[in-house]
Amino acid sequence: MATEKYILVRQYSEHSRIEPDFIQSLFEYELVFPEERDDEMFIDENDINEIEKMFRLHRDLGLNYEGLGAVNEMLNRIHELQQEMEKLRKRLRLYE
Amino acid sequence: MEFIDYYKILGVDKNATADQIKKAYRKKARKLHPDLNPDDPKAQQKFQQLNEANEVLSDPEKRKKYDQYGKDWQHADAYEHARQQQQQQQGGFGGFGGGGFGGGQQTYTSGDFDESQFSDFFESMFGGGGFSRGGRRSGPSQFKGQDLNATLRLNLTDTLESKKQTITLGEKKIRLTIPAGVEDGQTIRIKGHGGEGMNGGPKGDLYITFEIFNDTAFKRLGNDLYLDKTIPLYTAVLGGDITVDTLTGTVKLKVKPGTQNDSKVKLSGKGMPVYKKNDQFGDLYLTYQVEIPSNLSAREKELFEELSKLR
Repeated sequence: MATEKYILVRQYSEHSRIEPDFIQSLFEYELVFPEERDDEMFIDENDINEIEKMFRLHRDLGLNYEGLGAVNEMLNRIHELQQEMEKLRKRLRLYE
Repeated sequence: MEFIDYYKILGVDKNATADQIKKAYRKKARKLHPDLNPDDPKAQQKFQQLNEANEVLSDPEKRKKYDQYGKDWQHADAYEHARQQQQQQQGGFGGFGGGGFGGGQQTYTSGDFDESQFSDFFESMFGGGGFSRGGRRSGPSQFKGQDLNATLRLNLTDTLESKKQTITLGEKKIRLTIPAGVEDGQTIRIKGHGGEGMNGGPKGDLYITFEIFNDTAFKRLGNDLYLDKTIPLYTAVLGGDITVDTLTGTVKLKVKPGTQNDSKVKLSGKGMPVYKKNDQFGDLYLTYQVEIPSNLSAREKELFEELSKLR
């Protein structure tokens, strides 16, 4: 198993200075899913961008955790729709 | 260096209460936050201005200084010096508790942004301190720099082979390899070529989106190419040889006798190179368009009539 893919929460927290409580709350609200091994909590490195984005939204806009979940979900949906629209636009060009 | 009207940036009156400033900041931040505007390269800059305005106006001490000197901030040093001298002569303690203008000692801590993000105006007035916002921690937070987006325009024929290209981003030159078969709208990430990290955080990434201009007669869908090929009526009826120009050269094809209009043939491996897969190619699909002869001579017409009688 590629263990280097996971980062210990407390190490990440020290490095990023994002409080462990904030990360813990993201776990509790199921906004990010932890990896638990030998009583230690890890985060997937692929989740780091999401965590930092949610931290900025929380800090800058005062969003609570429910709000973070909703905004994040909507941003992801917008991104998917934009991709879908781009794909359809390309297909349409074939028939023009 | 120009005077910055922080009240105007936040859209509040000069007599606005702390609560009104907070609300105005939140309202504007919701619109301008870079995470909510990933496709707007100016969002970060606007958001920084907003943060700066909020930083000054939400802090009573800084707001007081800002209001006191206003547009005369460039002379603030002189004012301050004269005032302190006057107070010392009177035996009092004045000033702003160790703060100062023009890069004096500052006590603002726990910022989430580095100094380079302040305007010259801010630094001149409040020194090179950090933001006091979000003072939940004792040290500055490290954040990855902003990801940057760029568009690279290429002709379709430029994507048939992998090639190295140097792009200029601001003052920086980046040499990159563009893999063959890259598609229109496809985005690649170049790690560590984005904005500077905050407080020693890693640099952001550069995302390059390709805009491919089709400079060929082919239509492209994924790795496959499509082309309408006109063939003479007689070749369609009797069969024969035709030549087709593909992206990699001319090929000779046999047309079967009795080929119908709109019938399709596939030329395996004559499409686009498959992205990041060596020696793999899509296919080329030809749709035959049978050309009906026009301006028939009297003899041709006669022969066609004769033919029609035979059917």
